[in-house]
Amino acid sequence: MLRFLVRRTLGAAVILFLLSIVAFLLFFGMPRDPGLLMCGKTCTPANLANIHHVLGLDKSIPEQYWIFLHNLVLGSNGFDQGPCPAPCFGYSYHTNEQVWGTLMDRLPTTVSLTLGAAVCFLFVGLGTGMLSAWKRGTLVDKTVTAGAMVLSSMQIYFLGPLALAALVYQSHLFDKPAYNDFTADPVSWFTGLIIPWVILSTIFASQYTRMARSSMIEQLQEEHVRTARAKGMSRRYVFFRYAWRGSLIPIVTIFGIDLGALLGGAIITEYTFGLPGLGKLAVESVNFSDLPLLLGVMLFSAAMILLFNIIVDACYAFIDPRVRLS
Amino acid sequence: MTSPIETEDGAEPVVVHGGQAATTKPEGDPLVGRSPGQLMWTRFKRDRSGVISAYVVGFFFLIGALAPLIAKLYGKSPYTVFADERPELFDSAGVPLQPNGGISSEFWFGLEPGNGYDVFTKLIYGIRTSLMISVAVTVTVVLTGILLGVTAGYVGKKADFVISRVIDFLLAFPSQLFFIASMPVVVSLFVSPRDETPTYVRVVALIVVQWFLGWMSLARILRGTSLSLREREFIEAAKVSGASPWRIIRKEVLPNVVTPLLVQTTYLLPNFVTIEAGLSFLGVGIVEPTPDWGQMFSKASTELVLQNDITYMFFPGVSMIIFVVAFNLLGDSVRDAFDPKTAR
Repeated sequence: MLRFLVRRTLGAAVILFLLSIVAFLLFFGMPRDPGLLMCGKTCTPANLANIHHVLGLDKSIPEQYWIFLHNLVLGSNGFDQGPCPAPCFGYSYHTNEQVWGTLMDRLPTTVSLTLGAAVCFLFVGLGTGMLSAWKRGTLVDKTVTAGAMVLSSMQIYFLGPLALAALVYQSHLFDKPAYNDFTADPVSWFTGLIIPWVILSTIFASQYTRMARSSMIEQLQEEHVRTARAKGMSRRYVFFRYAWRGSLIPIVTIFGIDLGALLGGAIITEYTFGLPGLGKLAVESVNFSDLPLLLGVMLFSAAMILLFNIIVDACYAFIDPRVRLS
Repeated sequence: MTSPIETEDGAEPVVVHGGQAATTKPEGDPLVGRSPGQLMWTRFKRDRSGVISAYVVGFFFLIGALAPLIAKLYGKSPYTVFADERPELFDSAGVPLQPNGGISSEFWFGLEPGNGYDVFTKLIYGIRTSLMISVAVTVTVVLTGILLGVTAGYVGKKADFVISRVIDFLLAFPSQLFFIASMPVVVSLFVSPRDETPTYVRVVALIVVQWFLGWMSLARILRGTSLSLREREFIEAAKVSGASPWRIIRKEVLPNVVTPLLVQTTYLLPNFVTIEAGLSFLGVGIVEPTPDWGQMFSKASTELVLQNDITYMFFPGVSMIIFVVAFNLLGDSVRDAFDPKTAR
């Protein structure tokens, strides 16, 4: 297990390193000059050169990359804005704040959105999927399958504005979705996020319904399940103790991938509902040509995806005793 | 090989494998040999939901292809700003005065709040733009997937190692974030930032970025398929009889990866349609005044629409749901027709 974790972590570190190079090169291909955005209306070439010097953009790209890596690992005291401890992505060009601090500020929104929606879609999706498999071939099954088919074809950018119009703008039943700190005011935290949760989980749950159903049906046809039934175990016992466990592997895989992707910033959802999470931060960083912020968000998102990939693979060993991690 | 399966509600047995036995009586017709393709076709034709969804999908492609003709017969252009041409139809905020988004015998799907584009022509042209982009992405992705997947799986060794690592690396990309960040970069490769960006450049940029992060899943599946094919006897036989590697790939491997390829492609295309629409929704894809499916969603989510009349929202929304549902059903039917063992 330890060897597995070490090996996978090293692999993830290599991928993050390569990704940072790609993001770095991508940024220098961007058409907008961040210096020009900061320079304002009365921009003289001398001013611009000065800004470039302050940002360190006058150095060569490999040199800048080396400074970035150095700061990231060891931290830096070289910034005018103040010291920058170890995971140092520097200071945002646009807001002049520490990028790591900004990421940590925005993270609770994304985590709240993700966890609330994940709880919701996991329960609803697995519940309906298993119900559908239990009642296979009946009207219930057909309704659930057809409903899941339609819902999984829906898009957040249609369903989200529709819900906003119906529940907020036209009927005034709910407030506009917003993020409120959980520790300060749990009730408004809940009411502010309920619409995004429901919309996000509507779309995700339908995929879990379909997956749970097909996975359960596949498991119910396995020989060990048939043997258990033939031995006289009840259908319910076999369903929940034998088939259920075997059907978990594909679900855990997809759940881990979804969770990692969502924690890295649900861009379209956050954009639709105007929630100030990592996804919205990413869009802002591109719009303002903010290199430190862009690098920060990109590496953070990728790290989340990789982290959950490792967690998923480690989980296999617990679910399926036949899996040996090596 | 025929295995009748009793359905739970006691309906008549359904023949799942070796399908044609159910329709042809053994004593009547003489035995006719059928190619796998013909078998697949007969199975597909019997799947009613598959045939219907094929018609629906075909209908969308027909609309996209014939959009200029339809618009000409209908007599309007998707670029006409009716807020300027016919201001009497709108109130001061730019919302159509007539109820239900201004639907009338003249404007079948109403008028767009704001600029007052005609929604019907806008939608059919939007479908045209989206489908053209998605088809182009699908074609490039399929070609890349075949090339890299089959190379990795069949040639193996170093090629396999390199391609598999590249796939792993690209799969770790936060894809949406990468799309947003790279769109301006790719656009700037074609035009200088001071000039106005022509539409075709945005289209090409959309195709390039979606292709770049779109081919991995297909390549991975094709790699797996050709990896298992490599050990099969008929490949060995071809090798022993002196066929060149290129011939083996062309004549032995490729015909055998057609099944997963076709099935995956029918799932990929609607996926690209929704990704492209998402990018235009975020404002980094196709922008006004070029009509586009996804860009209609971004218009539909403005406060102007949300606060007043939401009729406009339903035209792009419902049409896209119908399209995606039909395409997914089609994909399921294609899969079932090729591989009856996985029948639902």
